[in-house]
Amino acid sequence: MTWLAVAKKDFRDAVQSRALWALVAVFVLLSVGSTYAYVEVPELFGGPAAPTLGGLLFFTVGLTGLFVPLAAIVVCQKSLAGERELGSIKLLLSLPTNRRHVFFGTVLGRASVLAFGLGVGLLVGLGVGALLLGRLEPVPMAVFVLVTLAFAAVYAAIVTSLSATTGSTTRATALALGFFVVFELVWDVVPLGVLYVVSGFSLPAESPDWLALLAQVPPSSAYFSTAVAFLPDLASDAGAAAGGGAGTDGATYAAPEVGVLVLTCWLAVVLAVGYTRFAAADL
Amino acid sequence: MAAIELEGLTKRYDDVLAVDGLDLTVEEGEIFGFLGPNGAGKSTTIDVLLDFIRPTAGTATVLGYDAQREGEAVRRRTGVLPDGYHVYDRLTGRQHLEFVCELKAATADLDALFERVGIAHAADRKAGGYSKGMTQRLVLAMALVGDPDLLVLDEPSTGLDPNGAREMREIIREENARGTTVFFSSHVMEQVEAVCDRVAIVDRGRLVAVDSIDGLRDASETGETLYVAVDDLSEAMVGPVAALEGVAEAALEDGHLRVRVDGVSKFAVLHAIDAEVAPIRDFSVVESSLEDLFVRYTAGGEGSR
Repeated sequence: MTWLAVAKKDFRDAVQSRALWALVAVFVLLSVGSTYAYVEVPELFGGPAAPTLGGLLFFTVGLTGLFVPLAAIVVCQKSLAGERELGSIKLLLSLPTNRRHVFFGTVLGRASVLAFGLGVGLLVGLGVGALLLGRLEPVPMAVFVLVTLAFAAVYAAIVTSLSATTGSTTRATALALGFFVVFELVWDVVPLGVLYVVSGFSLPAESPDWLALLAQVPPSSAYFSTAVAFLPDLASDAGAAAGGGAGTDGATYAAPEVGVLVLTCWLAVVLAVGYTRFAAADL
Repeated sequence: MAAIELEGLTKRYDDVLAVDGLDLTVEEGEIFGFLGPNGAGKSTTIDVLLDFIRPTAGTATVLGYDAQREGEAVRRRTGVLPDGYHVYDRLTGRQHLEFVCELKAATADLDALFERVGIAHAADRKAGGYSKGMTQRLVLAMALVGDPDLLVLDEPSTGLDPNGAREMREIIREENARGTTVFFSSHVMEQVEAVCDRVAIVDRGRLVAVDSIDGLRDASETGETLYVAVDDLSEAMVGPVAALEGVAEAALEDGHLRVRVDGVSKFAVLHAIDAEVAPIRDFSVVESSLEDLFVRYTAGGEGSR
């Protein structure tokens, strides 16, 4: 069970990162500020009705959907690449462990750090939200927090795996930022572009079904769908207010369970690629 | 059983042959010095022993285990002070040792260990604030956890002052007295000479000599060098001197005749020069040190690389 020891060491080390806590502070400020704004003036966020818990949660999904990738990049981009560049990996692998344990232990350690920082931020944000709304619904809130932590774990796995493929932190940073830009920033146009090309360089009037699936590829979109899948009542409750926060189109609602599948696929693919590259590398 | 056995070990990076067909056996219980100039392939070889890098060809067997397939078993019984390592800046010295104990499933008196390597005062400070020498001592302590059967030390004196290097040698001797095999690399003959039973000299990825320190000394002492001052020194004298019996080599150097003696007494050579070539005014004898031998084996040291 040396991977647990590696994870614990990694957690002890990375949780002391100042950048992480700066980011958590920003997240807390942002979530408290936006929660306050949402509760006091819901009209601003497209919800004419009175503020609801569902509205608040799905509004927060939009926020965490952006915060988690950025926090994952800060916390995880240098994990294994940094250990290789500096040489601490040599101390680690001089001990009776192996690369599989080091890889998965590091993923677990970084995921825990990210979940810990995010958990603190969410508890403060939701606590303030519950206070302002004047009601506490523990079950949907807990479900929401769990889904969000799972999303954070997937993102930690993505960025740590990218870091495991290289011995240069510069390249690791480039890979992490590249991933973020491609899948989180510009992906919106990719399904449309693909549709445009396969339709013979024109846009058809009817969107095919696979367009919705393609739009779910970014982890944050899959996270949004997953939240919808686990909290269907609150989601329909939130309605339009939720749509504005996450930037997905109506087709996504067709099968929100697809989001769970997409996140699982991301996890499996990045872990396989990251581990294979790390196991074969000359350190 | 051999502690370390290398057979035809080869490591090629794109266009550089870092290690070239290395065959080497280190017996259990010996202190073995692995000597060579910087860039000779020492660290590459050690990195293969620890499975940090994978050989292009050949095998490495450590404590009877294949270093590549059974690395975990190797490292369970091995203490390592690697080259080019970095400690975890945000963890304390004690947390480092606790981590090693956990992974090696060992119990150790950490305070005694810190005392032994001389950084008891800094045990609870973050390792990021350690000096180079303190870091080296911390990693040595990490290597000693769990009383390993084999110590692999890559340039252990790096960052240590002469006193620290002496303490390092004492610890090496103590561990060896306990039965531990010690394999350590260095580019400084002096350190190896002081503590090793046997030495291998590598250069440009190839093994150029393996012998005991005494064996190497015998090889080096047959080549004493004389510096002879004579009247009216001239280039013309070099030939006749070189032709004398027992002279391996003669040359002019700094206004003296430099004569390497081989096979006969230096007095016979001095007498012959005095009688047959030119009257001797003065002379001095330089005993070849192991350092000279090392320099000769490694093609003139760093200058020629």
